[in-house]
Amino acid sequence: MKKDHGHVGKKYGMVIDLDKCTGCGTCMTACAAENNVSVRKDESDKERSITWIQLYQISNGKKFPDTRYSYFPRPCMHCDEDGRGGHHPSCVSVCVASATKLDPHTGIVSQIYTRCIGCRYCQAACPFDARYFNWWDAYFPKEKGLERYLSPDVSPRMRGVIEKCSFCHHRLMRAKNQAYAEGRREIEEHEYITACTEACPVQAITFGDLNNPKHKVHELIQLPTAFRLLERLNTKPKVYYLSTKDWVRRLADNYRPGEFKRLSKGS
Amino acid sequence: MQMKRRNFIKFLVGGVAGIQLTPLPWKFTDDVAIWTQNWPWVPVPPVGAVTKEKTVCSLCRGACGIEVRKIDNRAVKIEGRSDYPVNPGGICPLGMGGLQLLYNESIRFTSPMKRVGPRGSGVFMDISWDEALDILSGRISKLRKKGHPEALAAIDGNPNESTMALMVERLLKAVGSPNYVSMPSVGDTCSMVNYLQQGTGEMMAYDLENADCILSFGSGLLEGWGSPGRVLNAWGLWHDAHAKEKAVIIQVEARASNTASKADFWITPKPGTEAALALGIAHVLIKDRLCNVSFIENYCFGYHDWKSLDGQEHKGFKSMVLDEYSPQQVAGITGLQADKIKSLAHEFGKAKAPIAICGKGKGSLNGSLYEFMAIQSLNALVGNINKPGGVLVHEAMPLSDLQKLKNDQISLRGLKKQRLDQAGTSKYPFTNSLINNFLDAILKRHQSPVDTLLVFKANPVFTLPDTTACYKALKKIPFIVSFSPFKDETALMADLILPDHTYLEKMDDLVCPPGLQYPFYGLTKSVVDPVYNTENTGDAIIRLAKKIGGSVAESFQWPEYEDVLKTRASGLYSNGKGLVGYDASHPVWKMQKAGNRAAPDYSTFEEMWEAIKTGGFWFTAKHNYQNYSSIFKTPSKKFEFFSLRIKSAIDIAAKQKPLKKVLKDLGVAKNADEACMPHYSKDESSQDSTEYPLFMMPYEMINLASEWAPNPPFSNKTLLDNQLRNDESFTDINPQTAKANDLKQGDRVIIKSLAGRIKVRVNITEGAMPGIVYLPLGFGHTAYDEFLKGKGVNPNDIITTNRDPVSGQIVWWNTAVKLIKV
Amino acid sequence: MDSPILPEGVKRCSLTTFLILLLPCFALLAWGGLSAVLCLWKGLNQTNMSNVFAFALWIVFDLAVIALGAGAFFTGFLTYIIDRKELKNIINAAVIIGFICYSGAMAMLGIDIGQPIRGWFIYWHANIHSMLVEVSFCIGCYLIVLIIEFVPIIFENRKLNEIKPIRLIGHNLHEIMAVFAATGAFLSFFHQGSLGGMFGVLYGRPFAAREGFYIWPWTFFLFILSAIACGPCFTILCTKLTEFISGKKLVPDNAIQTLAKISGWLLSFYIVLKIIDTLGWIYGVVPRAGMTFMDFYREGPYGVWLVVCEILICGVIPAVMLMIPRIRQNGTWLVVAGILNCTGIVINRFVFIVVTLAIPVMPFDRFWSYVPTWQEWGIGLAVLGYGVLVYALSYRYLPVFPKEKELNIIT
Repeated sequence: MKKDHGHVGKKYGMVIDLDKCTGCGTCMTACAAENNVSVRKDESDKERSITWIQLYQISNGKKFPDTRYSYFPRPCMHCDEDGRGGHHPSCVSVCVASATKLDPHTGIVSQIYTRCIGCRYCQAACPFDARYFNWWDAYFPKEKGLERYLSPDVSPRMRGVIEKCSFCHHRLMRAKNQAYAEGRREIEEHEYITACTEACPVQAITFGDLNNPKHKVHELIQLPTAFRLLERLNTKPKVYYLSTKDWVRRLADNYRPGEFKRLSKGS
Repeated sequence: MQMKRRNFIKFLVGGVAGIQLTPLPWKFTDDVAIWTQNWPWVPVPPVGAVTKEKTVCSLCRGACGIEVRKIDNRAVKIEGRSDYPVNPGGICPLGMGGLQLLYNESIRFTSPMKRVGPRGSGVFMDISWDEALDILSGRISKLRKKGHPEALAAIDGNPNESTMALMVERLLKAVGSPNYVSMPSVGDTCSMVNYLQQGTGEMMAYDLENADCILSFGSGLLEGWGSPGRVLNAWGLWHDAHAKEKAVIIQVEARASNTASKADFWITPKPGTEAALALGIAHVLIKDRLCNVSFIENYCFGYHDWKSLDGQEHKGFKSMVLDEYSPQQVAGITGLQADKIKSLAHEFGKAKAPIAICGKGKGSLNGSLYEFMAIQSLNALVGNINKPGGVLVHEAMPLSDLQKLKNDQISLRGLKKQRLDQAGTSKYPFTNSLINNFLDAILKRHQSPVDTLLVFKANPVFTLPDTTACYKALKKIPFIVSFSPFKDETALMADLILPDHTYLEKMDDLVCPPGLQYPFYGLTKSVVDPVYNTENTGDAIIRLAKKIGGSVAESFQWPEYEDVLKTRASGLYSNGKGLVGYDASHPVWKMQKAGNRAAPDYSTFEEMWEAIKTGGFWFTAKHNYQNYSSIFKTPSKKFEFFSLRIKSAIDIAAKQKPLKKVLKDLGVAKNADEACMPHYSKDESSQDSTEYPLFMMPYEMINLASEWAPNPPFSNKTLLDNQLRNDESFTDINPQTAKANDLKQGDRVIIKSLAGRIKVRVNITEGAMPGIVYLPLGFGHTAYDEFLKGKGVNPNDIITTNRDPVSGQIVWWNTAVKLIKV
Repeated sequence: MDSPILPEGVKRCSLTTFLILLLPCFALLAWGGLSAVLCLWKGLNQTNMSNVFAFALWIVFDLAVIALGAGAFFTGFLTYIIDRKELKNIINAAVIIGFICYSGAMAMLGIDIGQPIRGWFIYWHANIHSMLVEVSFCIGCYLIVLIIEFVPIIFENRKLNEIKPIRLIGHNLHEIMAVFAATGAFLSFFHQGSLGGMFGVLYGRPFAAREGFYIWPWTFFLFILSAIACGPCFTILCTKLTEFISGKKLVPDNAIQTLAKISGWLLSFYIVLKIIDTLGWIYGVVPRAGMTFMDFYREGPYGVWLVVCEILICGVIPAVMLMIPRIRQNGTWLVVAGILNCTGIVINRFVFIVVTLAIPVMPFDRFWSYVPTWQEWGIGLAVLGYGVLVYALSYRYLPVFPKEKELNIIT
């Protein structure tokens, strides 16, 4: 916990229960709708399709009928460090134009579209492939009129810039404004959650301040089933996962033979 | 003064150098950068007043509650809502993308239209509503004048219980046509099973949230079955890390669907043998005394062998199951191991509140009658009927009937004509409508018996199995009228378009979402002003009836559609119970179980109606559990393992023709006793298994719309690239199947059946059963815009349909195919 | 026709022949021009780059030409600072090659970024933590230095040199060239290093990540070394090619041999360090990330052969060849060694760019492949066309090789 002006700073984070996650894709849709991500004719080119939170299908690799699929929903991890103890996430420390920043007060890694020059160095730096380049301008052809559903909270992106999950930062702003208007300094746990958290029909996603012992996420990340993606790279992601299944946990990081530790009970 | 060339060059060079010292280049550099930040072709969403409107999603029958965030009069986001009983907060990915259907002009009809180009070309001309209604009323009046009102027909995709379905049927009846055909849905089979075994034709009401063992026969709990928002929420409850007792989920399915993968146990019988598996489980339950004996002895009929009044001995369920469905026998049929069947039965039988559920995939298509009966029989064997965590038995929704229909002589004569689909005849005694027969009747006759076809909320040309037959039949019909708001395949074949509002622009009701365990009435509302020149089909029908005049007009005397809805809803009020408010901390399934008998939270009908209009729902948590002596409305007043209604239907028919012929007409392969009980018989498809050695199974995905409503483009982002790549969709096959057919990942292959051929790419996966070719439903549109059109293939194109015994409905899950490598 | 502006006392082909010979260059430039217009107008969707291959062909070209262009600063450094007089006979060629490489790379970078018009944000909103900022600053400044170094050579053109102020400027610039050589060397050390640093600091990608000294990962130093090891060789190759095409001897052997010897020593030094670095990586970074060496070479076409090629065939072998006087004094073997040396460094850059990105880090992610589009090739090859054109023009009109007249007395 980083002390900041005398009080403990907030560290917003997410816990995704993979045992609950059904791979339905509502988080992806909710995210795209919330953040004005446009849809192009072909979204099957996964190398260029923009999906701030992406579902990765994983398999236990067994033969029919012992096969099982599961899913890793992967938003931006909002890392705290660059893997070497530097207090910038990998992508932030490489950005040439200071277009992406780690907010020390919230732990959110922001992206300024109008500042970005599109060098894509941050994409190379991110091991989670969480950053997306706009290979095209936002696709809202006039004759369709789809721009009518665009939300003014998030500006549509021009081509040639990077975008990524912002933990729905505008929702934090909205909640803060509301709180200030009501004369409060602090916002409640439920007042700021991301669009995917809100949309998840199985409530697999929990969002909150990891530093705040009253928040549910604080409790969940203490569970023995909690883990993070590529934890060994030491980038300190603020997105945690829960799973009781060893084959799922095993796929969250790279392990040399014999290194992976099963949960004591096994599964 | 003359300027020399040399001086001019000097001047130029000096000038250029000089400009560098002014702020101009810097200003310019800055300005073009600012320009890139404000490119005029990148939309800037206008700001405005933020409001939220609550309504109900009616993209499927699930009736999930949604909240639409608006900026001024623009809807900008759909969210789930937590002040709503069905789905506390979550919705499915399709519902989430609803605004892309509302605002996508290229997939919507913007005004009434008449066809000017060739059929199917999609070339229409805008006309006024008056002109459009005049054309249609003129046509109908002409039919009536000619004395052939039955030549008017309707294909209706509205749920059977909805007011819109009543309106459409009423219109046909008022005109004088019996040919009201509804689209098949799993509800048809469920209510038939309930009618036969429990005596009421209500939907299945599963108390999933209170159950501790869910035995799902192919139901895509995670694929959009039932009310997706509600079922997924239940899934979350079952898997909560803090839950004291976790429910055990057993999925019976031949594909590693999400449900199968995420279930605790995954059982893989050969497709089409599920009924045998259910009866095998029944066998173990009976044999190992895992049944609820007191329920069976007191409130069930046909369990034991019995003697009818005429003195004839009849075989009962118990002896049939013990004789024919031992684990070994069932293992032979299903390809499962006998031990697995036994352990499965024990898992089910030992649970406190086990529940067996039916309806394949999303449940958008009908199922097999005997299979569903076998599954429901399991619930009866463990006595988990009308108990918390079981299958609840409800009376019909207390909705009022509409005023009595006025019929003139013409319409009475028309109504006496036989339905084209023969539903309700001795061949199909319990079925309300059979669209496949309806289409066959058109195809078989030289001239189409249907002159004018009205299509409501349905896209049979895309969603019906064997689309080719459907397309051909529709082509024969002289005049088709579509009420679709969307430019779907069927609408493109229409001659006249009377576009409905989309669900976000109109008021309409949703009654009893599938699977929900309490009576529920949902009401959508117009959350945004209609975007285009469309009209609520309810209102359009009223106006149409008035234009036809006479007794037809008299049958539709309401000023507008809302009055019709109010008329029906008045029954909810006079019923004396129900709530229009909801507190998320008291979920209905807890209230029901705890017996919270909340008094109605309104005092007058108007108050109730206004509350429903704002909140969007009415429900009641009041439920009388058990109460077995009065809930079963069967002839025996008991739960019937042996359906007396089937028996009497057979007996009646057997008076006119030999019993063998009766059974053959019904499609039953077994004897008369077993015809009254759930049983398994091998699918008698005459297809040559050497020519077509594989089976094709269509499957549904929660993130791909395969029913009437089109897929929102957002969903395309969620599809994997081994499901769709560029414009090609994939078939899932097992590595063994791939090897036998010499196929590698990504190869292109033709899947051929008797009905046709389609070209897809191959995705090799261990999630597929060997010998089966899986195809997702929802791809292969020939209508709509670039987000949908031409993407993948539609498995419906090659499904060869058989008839399900007794119900006569479509058997769509078993098509023999072969693979031809391209 | 253009004889008045040709250098004095040397033989050049006719203008027509010259232009005809350059036709392929113009073709490449036209192709590149079309590609550039498409990429700037329609955006980078014209390429096959993707969110996986954020860097691709162009960056490989960039890093390759910048490494190969290192001959300029290093030869300048040797000539002016270390005072190796014999290198004065080759320094002009080295400077021109350097200029071509750096200006070409900058042009390509301008197209490679998504928002070229905002390119100056790198300088305006600079993030000092980013290695790429260091690269941009240094390359930007060094390009200016190269221009300053190139200008006096241009001013030596016979016609231009007749103009007094130009002659004066040219002469004075020559006098202070040592200062610029020093600046250039300093800047170049840093940007060559930062280019290496760019990849070494990718801690999220264990394939590229390296440990290091202070803020610099080992790749920082390895890139400097490898650049100065191959740069002189590339200068030699270009000179040899010019000699071959013109059929003349242009540079005295001692200059070539000095460069070749230094190149050989540097390459040997580099290869030793590279092997140590690779071992350190195999036993340090890789196991910490939970992987084994072989995990990186299982997918797609990128097998262990890459390592063998880069370090053994294109590293150790040319190093040994260049160190042995007898071999490097043989013209053919010198060219072979030079080509191997340069190839090795290009492979090194390719591996750090493309292979780094192609290998997924998340265990459940998959391997992606990449094939450039014609637009990407167009722009990449246009740099080649541009280079040949500028080099040919320089050779034709400027006294690039001071000893040319001496070595080829026209009879």
